[in-house]
Amino acid sequence: MKIGTKIVLSLALLSSFSFAGEQFAMSDADRAMYSEMLENNPADMMVANGEELLAKYGGGEAGLAAFFNVSEEKLPAYIAGFPRYLPEFKQVVALDQALQGLMSKNGHKPFKLKSSDMYDMSAYAKSLANGQKINIDVNANKQMKAARAMGEEVYMTKRGGRGLACNSCHSPDVVGSILRTQPLPAIDGKGNAVAANWPAYRMTKSNMTTLAVRFQGCMNNALLAVIPLGSKEMVALEVYLTNEAKGSEISIPGLKR
Amino acid sequence: MKKTVMMSLLVGASLFAADYSSVIETPNASKIIEKDLMGPPTKFTMPANCVTTDADAIARGSFIFHNLNGGKTKGDAPKGLAKNNADGKPKQYGNCVACHNIEGAVGGGNIGPDLTGYKDMFVATGVRDNQFVYQKIADPRVDNKDTHMTVNLTTKLFNEREICDMTSYIVSPK
Ligand code: HEC
Ligand code: HEC
Repeated sequence: MKIGTKIVLSLALLSSFSFAGEQFAMSDADRAMYSEMLENNPADMMVANGEELLAKYGGGEAGLAAFFNVSEEKLPAYIAGFPRYLPEFKQVVALDQALQGLMSKNGHKPFKLKSSDMYDMSAYAKSLANGQKINIDVNANKQMKAARAMGEEVYMTKRGGRGLACNSCHSPDVVGSILRTQPLPAIDGKGNAVAANWPAYRMTKSNMTTLAVRFQGCMNNALLAVIPLGSKEMVALEVYLTNEAKGSEISIPGLKR
Repeated sequence: MKKTVMMSLLVGASLFAADYSSVIETPNASKIIEKDLMGPPTKFTMPANCVTTDADAIARGSFIFHNLNGGKTKGDAPKGLAKNNADGKPKQYGNCVACHNIEGAVGGGNIGPDLTGYKDMFVATGVRDNQFVYQKIADPRVDNKDTHMTVNLTTKLFNEREICDMTSYIVSPK
């Protein structure tokens, strides 16, 4: 990963943040965090750690390409199509699960999906697709079709202590409204296109996490029972939201509040 | 030569003809979701003496309205309201202010309508009555199936008394 590209990318992100700040005033504390990031971007160090981990446990970029049976040249576009149905996994898998398969193939015990090593490694692996447009194909086969449909259902289903669904707070008719001082973000391609910029670094938590972990954060906050990483339903939710952001340009690691 | 052998080994041992379904994490979530679902939209009738001008009831309603849970509040909860459940976990409150502005709201949201001046504007004019407010808090899906408002009685997050306390607070003069 070329450090130069990354710095340009994070600068681009930062300037779009400050632009957004004009329509909704960012707090001074938030501003301070963003400018701190300019000086010293811990997300880059985590992605660099991911690069080392992939080299050590998966044979690096070449090992990943070979695992997927694509050329290194085609690898970025291939990564931009995850989650995918892979017959050898007998299911639709997210990129981190595919990395578990790769580690196992190389004789290593796979990292847990919920581990900072996996967050770093999957952030690096997905960053290989930076600049590519999300090209998920939910009509590729019946498994992908089913996953998209299941994901939509998970997204729309009201549940938990307060009877809320993801859609209660992220549907177009409430996006931009304020929930206890937080503007509700659009998470599809017309908004933050979350699938294109997660794994991301969360400044309020000082860590790198994946999209699915971010989903868990909202479930937890809104009193929905938290569903586990890697479950069919969780992968389906990722399929659904990735398809909603189809065509958006991938830019990893995202920087988030 | 050596490199070619390496490469073909890599490709040979690639995805194909392998089975990775058992080495990856694929926990089951369907039971978790099933248990988390709530009942269908339900009509509720206010119990007798539900809405009151009792200061303690209004104080509880106000506290539930303005707070998220017992772990996030300082000081004591008002008389008759616990900060923890029987299992020791923080009791959940309404956090209604996340979506609604009202008198004295700190950081009130605007997803739901502003409830400021509710008594004069909506109750005194006959546009709304106590039963309407009670039903709205208990299960707003009954009159708006696509509502983004929380469901509070059908989910059993609160009991009838607590819904009455919140109703009493909203319709009280402030
Ligand atoms: C009660 C309201 C509420 C519910 C329900 C809710 N969210 Fe959120 N969500 C928010 C808010 C507010 C933010 C922004 C928080 C911040 O900026 O820190 C957010 C942020 C997010 C983000 C990050 C956005 C970004 O720009 O990267 C994702 C992804 C997300 N939500 C997904 C979900 C999913 C999936 C569900 C359902 C499982 C869900 N949310 C349910 C309120 C909600
Ligand atoms: C996630 C957002 C959200 C939360 C949290 C929320 N509400 Fe609402 N509320 C709404 C929306 C949206 C409406 C308007 C749509 C509707 O009436 O269904 C509404 C409507 C209402 C109304 C009807 C106002 C009128 O006269 O039409 C009352 C009363 C009310 N809410 C009280 C509460 C109380 C009490 C709580 C906390 C237990 C609460 N709300 C929590 C979003 C919310």
